[in-house]
Amino acid sequence: MKRGNFVLGTISGLAVSANTNHVFARALAAAPLPGLPGGQNRCLVLVNLQGGNDGLNCVVPHGDGRYYQLRPTLAISQSEVLAINAQIGLNPKLRAFKALYDKGLVAIVQGVGYPNPSYSHFRSTEIWQTASPDHYEHTGWLGRYFDDAGLPENDLFKGVAIAQTLPEVLASNRTDIPAIPGPDQYGLALDRSPSLRAAFGRDAHDTRLPFSSPYLARVMEIEDHAQRGSEELPKLIGGYQTKATYPSTPLGRSLALAAQIVGSNLGTKVIYVEHASFDTHVNQRPVQDRMLEQFSNAIAAFYDDLAAHGNDRRVLTLTFSEFGRRIEENASHGTDHGQASPLFLIGGGVKGGIYGNAPDLGNLDEGNLRFTTDFRSVYATVLERWLGRPSAPVLAGSFASLPILA
Amino acid sequence: MASQTRVDFGGILRPPGQLDATTALQPYRGPLDERSAAHLLRRAGFGGTPDEVRRYAAMSVDAAVESLVRFPSTANLPQPDVYDRRAHLGELRVPVDERRDALKEILRNERESLRGMRLWWLNRMLTTPAPLQEKMTLFWHGHFTSYVNYAVYTYFQNQLFRYYALGNVRTLTHAVSRDPAMLIYLNNDKNVAEHPNENYARELMELFTLGIGHYTEQDVREAARAWTGWRLNKATGVVRFAPRQHDDGSKTFLGQTGNFMGDDVVDIIFAQPQCARFLATSLLNYFVYNDPEPELVDAVADVMRRNNYEIAPVMSAIFRSNVFYSPRAYRALVKSPVEFVVGTYKALGITELPDDAVGFANRMGQILFQPPNVAGWPGGQNWLTSGTMIVRQNFVASVANSQTLASSSWLGQVPMQPDKATHAIVGTLLQGDAAPASRVEVQALLSGAGTSALMMLSGENFQQRVGAATALAMGMPAYQLN
Repeated sequence: MKRGNFVLGTISGLAVSANTNHVFARALAAAPLPGLPGGQNRCLVLVNLQGGNDGLNCVVPHGDGRYYQLRPTLAISQSEVLAINAQIGLNPKLRAFKALYDKGLVAIVQGVGYPNPSYSHFRSTEIWQTASPDHYEHTGWLGRYFDDAGLPENDLFKGVAIAQTLPEVLASNRTDIPAIPGPDQYGLALDRSPSLRAAFGRDAHDTRLPFSSPYLARVMEIEDHAQRGSEELPKLIGGYQTKATYPSTPLGRSLALAAQIVGSNLGTKVIYVEHASFDTHVNQRPVQDRMLEQFSNAIAAFYDDLAAHGNDRRVLTLTFSEFGRRIEENASHGTDHGQASPLFLIGGGVKGGIYGNAPDLGNLDEGNLRFTTDFRSVYATVLERWLGRPSAPVLAGSFASLPILA
Repeated sequence: MASQTRVDFGGILRPPGQLDATTALQPYRGPLDERSAAHLLRRAGFGGTPDEVRRYAAMSVDAAVESLVRFPSTANLPQPDVYDRRAHLGELRVPVDERRDALKEILRNERESLRGMRLWWLNRMLTTPAPLQEKMTLFWHGHFTSYVNYAVYTYFQNQLFRYYALGNVRTLTHAVSRDPAMLIYLNNDKNVAEHPNENYARELMELFTLGIGHYTEQDVREAARAWTGWRLNKATGVVRFAPRQHDDGSKTFLGQTGNFMGDDVVDIIFAQPQCARFLATSLLNYFVYNDPEPELVDAVADVMRRNNYEIAPVMSAIFRSNVFYSPRAYRALVKSPVEFVVGTYKALGITELPDDAVGFANRMGQILFQPPNVAGWPGGQNWLTSGTMIVRQNFVASVANSQTLASSSWLGQVPMQPDKATHAIVGTLLQGDAAPASRVEVQALLSGAGTSALMMLSGENFQQRVGAATALAMGMPAYQLN
C-alpha cells in the first residue's frame, strides 16, 4: 500500500511533522570490545541461496576424475569451467563473479556443513539460520548477535530483512528488526497525529487506562517504531543515487536497496536478502545456471555501486544455502538433497582465496560429501572479525574463526 | 538428530502480581459483563460481534461456558477444495525433459491448494457456530506441528485435530503418531528396525508430551525402537504396520521393561504425572497467560488426570475459573495474527473474508499449515516487530476503508453524534480499554477536526469518518492484546 493515497490521510488533520530530533539516522556503531577489531560502520549482507545450491556444479572440482564419473550428464566440462587452479574452478555462468574473485575480493570456503545433517529443506534452513543443529531455537544467530550487542533501541534500522516476513536468522528476544519487502512497501497507510502518538506514549503509565498487561509497554514501543520508521525511511534513503545498473531480477532489486541502505548511513549492521530457488531435482543444468548467472550479475552490480560510493570496504557479503546436493545425479538429470557445499564471503575486507579442505569425493556419507568446515566457524569469523563481537555467547560454544578477513 | 535438545521459549512474559493458588481454579462467582464476555469470546474463540458480546454478557458463566464447550454439530459446514496429488502422479510419467515442468505444475497446485485451504480455514473460524472447536484445532496445530508439501495430508491432519478438538488427548496422540503428515514431517515412516530413526520418538517426548529433562537419551532410543515398523505409502496414503520392519525385542522405557510397541510408549508416557503438567502448561500459556506458576499448572494437571486426559472438562474448568477472569489474565496475551485478522472481521460483523486476508496474516508472521518449526509458534513478544506492526495497522486501515465496511452490520450500530459514536467505537472494539487522551482523538476525528471546513458528522461523511475512527481504535495498544 502506498503512502498518501489513502482516504484517511492525516488523522485529525493535525499536520504530521517529522520529528527532526531523532538521532537514529546517525550511523551509530557498536563500541568494539577490547582486543577485537571494530565494527565501525561495517555491514554484513547475508544472501540466502534458497533450495539447496549444488556445490559441485558451483565450485567445480574439474581436476578430479571421479566428478566426471559420478555426473555423466551434469558435469561441467574442463573446457567450460572458469578455472581457479588445476583442481577447482567456477561455474561458467559466474563470469562477473569470477572477475571479483580475480580482484581478490572473494573468499571461497569449501565443504561447509554440520554434523548429523538434515535433508529436510525446512529443518536444515532452520539449522543454518539458528546455528543450532542440536536443538530447536526460536532466535536466529544474528538475532542473538543483536540481543547480545545491545545497540541503541532508537536505531530503527540496525538490522533489515529485505523480505516479506522476518527470516528466522533475525528473530530475537529483545531487538526489533523490520522486514522491508521493498523501498515503497514499508509504510503506514494512515498517519496518526502527534498528539495521539503522545497519548499512546502515556498510556503505559496512565492510571486511568482500565487494564494492565505484561506486553503493553512493548506494544507501544513497537507502535512507535512502526510509526517513526515508516515516516523516516523514505526521507533517510531518498537522497541516495544508485550508480550501477542492476539486473531486473528480484535479487538485483534487493541488493540495489541494500546498497541504498548502506549508503544512507542508518547504522545498519546486517541486511538479509534471498535468492530462490536452487532446488534442482529435475533437469538441473539450465536451472542452476540461470540462478547462478543472476547471482553473479547482481553481486557484481552491487559491488560496483558500493565502490562508486566508497562503501565497498564497509560491506561483507556472506552466502549460505541449506545444503549441497547428492553427488550422484538422479534419473531426471537432477540431483537430490545432499550435505556439505561451499560458501562465499565477498568484499573489500576479504582476503581473497580458497579456504577449507575440498570434500573427498572418495569418502562419502550415504553418497554425500562430508563437511570439512563447521558452518559455525564461518559465523564465528564474521562475528569476531567483522562485527567485532565475541562469538561464544551467540553460538553457544567456541568455534575457531578462519583467517579470511583482513 | 543430535543428543542434546531443549526448547527455548524466550520472549514470553508472566503478568505481574500474585497468584492465589487456593482459589485460582474455583468457579468465578462474579457477573459476566460485556468486558468479561468479550474476553471469554476472544480466548475461547476469535472474538464476538457486538451482538454476541451482549448476548453472552447476559448469561451466567456456567451457561456461557457450556454453550462454548458443548458445541453444535459442524458436519455441514463447507469443505475446502483440496488438491489430491495421489490422483496426479501419472502426470510425472513423461519424458525426462518434460518431467521438470510436470513436477513444477504439481507443486504449483499444492501451493495453490494450501493457499485456498488457509482462506477456507480463516473463514471457518469466522463463521463456525463452534468457535472453541476451531480454536482448539488451531491450538493442536501449533502443538503437534507438521508442515508438508501435500495439501491432502495437511487436510487429513487438520480434520484429525478438529475431530479430537475437545476429545481425549491420549487418544489424539495415538492417532497423530500414525497420521501421514506427521509420519512424513518427523520421519517416523523411515523408522525401521535396522536403522531406527529417533526424530519422532524424541519430539513426542520433548515437544508433545513431557518436555526436556523428563526422559533420558536411552528412553529416546528405546521409544524409537518401539515405534519401528510404521510405513506410509505416499502414493495411496495408506499407513500400515510392517511387522518385519519392527524391532520386537525387549525395551526398557521410562523404567518399564517389555516388548513394547509404539502405542505402549504413548500409554507409558501418559501414565507420568509430568505429561499432564506439560499439557496443562501449554493450555494455560495459550488460553490464560504466559509462563503460568507451577501451582496453577499442578491444579490444571490435576483436573486433567482426574478426567483421564479428556480435554472438554479441562477447558470447562479453565473458562469458569477465578484466574481466567482475574485482571492478571485480562489482555495478558499478544493477539496472534490469526486472532487479529479473524477477530477484526468478527467485530465488524463481516461474514466473509476477502482473499487478501490470508496474505495479511502471513505477513503478520503466521502462515497456517506452515509453522516455523516443530515447536510451533512461540507467541508473546515474538509476534511484535515494527514490520509486523505496520502490516497490522495497514490491515485495519484496509478493512475499515473497504467497500466491505459499507455492507457490514457495524456502521448501523454507530450513532451519528460524535460523543455517542466515540463511546460506541471504544466500547465495542476495545471494551473501553483506551486512555482518556485516546478517546479525545477518536472524538476529534469524528467531529471533523482538521477538515477544511469543520463539517458536522453527517450522512455524507459518516462512512468515511467512522471508518477512520474504527481503524484508529484498532490501531490502539489494547487491540493488539488478547
